[in-house]
Amino acid sequence: MIKKILAGAVAASFAMSPMVATAESCSNDTWNKIMSRGKIVVGVKADYKPWGYRDTSGDIVGMEIDMANDVAAKMGVDIELVAVQSSNRMQFLEQGKIDLMIATMSDRADRREIVGIVGPNYYTSGTNVMSPKALGLTSWEDLRGKPVCGKQGAFYNQIVEQRYGAQVIAFTGNAEAKQALRDKKCIAWVYDDSSIGSDLSSGNWDDFEMPLNSEDDNPWALAVPSAERDCVFGRFMSGMQYQWHQDGSLVALEAKWGIKPTQYLADKKAQYGDWLAE
Amino acid sequence: MASKRPYTIPGINRNGSTDLPVLKPFAPSQPVAFHTSAWLANMPAWTGFVLLLPLMLWPFASHAAGSFTMTDAFSALIRWMPFLLKSGFLFNVIISLFAMLIGTSLGIILGLGQISRNRFIKRVSWFFTQLFRNSPWLVLLFIVLLAFPFEVTIFGVIIPIPDWMKAVIGLSLPIMANISEIVRGAVLSVPTAQWEAAESLAFSRQQILWRIILPQCFKRMIPPWMNWYAILTMATPLCSLLGVEEIITLSRQAMEAENNHPELLVPFYSFALGLFFIYCYPIARVTMYLERRYSVKI
Repeated sequence: MIKKILAGAVAASFAMSPMVATAESCSNDTWNKIMSRGKIVVGVKADYKPWGYRDTSGDIVGMEIDMANDVAAKMGVDIELVAVQSSNRMQFLEQGKIDLMIATMSDRADRREIVGIVGPNYYTSGTNVMSPKALGLTSWEDLRGKPVCGKQGAFYNQIVEQRYGAQVIAFTGNAEAKQALRDKKCIAWVYDDSSIGSDLSSGNWDDFEMPLNSEDDNPWALAVPSAERDCVFGRFMSGMQYQWHQDGSLVALEAKWGIKPTQYLADKKAQYGDWLAE
Repeated sequence: MASKRPYTIPGINRNGSTDLPVLKPFAPSQPVAFHTSAWLANMPAWTGFVLLLPLMLWPFASHAAGSFTMTDAFSALIRWMPFLLKSGFLFNVIISLFAMLIGTSLGIILGLGQISRNRFIKRVSWFFTQLFRNSPWLVLLFIVLLAFPFEVTIFGVIIPIPDWMKAVIGLSLPIMANISEIVRGAVLSVPTAQWEAAESLAFSRQQILWRIILPQCFKRMIPPWMNWYAILTMATPLCSLLGVEEIITLSRQAMEAENNHPELLVPFYSFALGLFFIYCYPIARVTMYLERRYSVKI
């Protein structure tokens, strides 16, 4: 009798903690759902060129869309893309509205508790600022107490605020943030260093510079629903990412979409590369 | 005086005039309450062009820095126009139409509930009317978008609920409450003598309401009803804050695809503004016309 009660209590406690529960039993609901309906629904960005953005016909294209297409091809299912925003991507995944999320998300400890992030990370980016040359910023400390423009939903807004005491003004879009920078509402615009780099090289921002050392190499992560992390789908996505690194797909995609080559992808390719290939 | 022209009667076959004090017809010089459509319709038609003037003047005011010129921005806008119209503005119109349909249907029921003789129904209808009439629209939208499931299963059939459908529900709630007040107000505005006269002719309450009172209310409700439609249409860009795909959301994504040049902001947002004006202005004019036509004559 007592054994039974104990067993019941243990079972209940297992059910309460999702981590243990998933480790114990894999129902593979999401994977089975994708397979039975023959379609995977992937949440991607539609406002983050060149990872995910729209062409003039309205179709979503970009580096992450190519990755998503590869996933669908390997699973042998059709694909449906859903445009997500930084503010709703994790909810959509946990609600089941999307099966997989490849949406420029930085890999953070607090996010790992919410969604099923699986490694290895497929990209990393650094944070930097674009600011007028005339200001001559030299260190992050120069931002203390000053207004800095950013985009809503970017986690480094918080870091710049907490670590360097900048006052972040967050806009809904980057165009608005950049206009504010031009209007001198803020002394700098904080964003991904690769994006800033491509802006500066476009020749439209001659009076501006990227003066600081890139901060926080943020790994980017794709995610499956948290219940799938240690089950078929999570393991499959881990394998997909490993393979992308190993065969150089990511480096090729980076070149295809005109992204400045990152050391991270080159390193990973070397690290995971096949030693028999030479 | 009368002997000279025996066949003219003042006010009938010649202009009536008197120096005695008379009650002049009531003509409010301005709308009693602020009506969006009255305000909009009172604008002359060229206002639209004036509003679009920033489009023309912006090139001169903008910074001449860099190689991305206003011409580039405009050619970008022209490239995106078909998409913004067909996948963007069309959805604003669809959202507003459905929200109006649902809001009106429920609002009429709620409004009649407010004048019910059953105290419970009356209280409940009053409560919901006041609750949704006095809540910020954005808050209602947030609640509906986050609380509603993205799909429902009815008898094993999975029915997806797209985001714009949720936006329809969210926006129809305040419309419902305001229509409810319009219905209640219109019914109460019919002189009580009508009720008494009908009662004396042995009509039942239901008959009085449906056959005598409501037909008179209908005309009075049309102008405020259209007024709310115009307000609702102009409120649909609120959905962009929640990621529903409509013109503002897609304009942002289009600007992103065009590398976020700040020069794009004014052309793209002016385009949206122009579309809303072109759509809402005729509605406002018709509302004004109907208001004049159906105004209560004393």
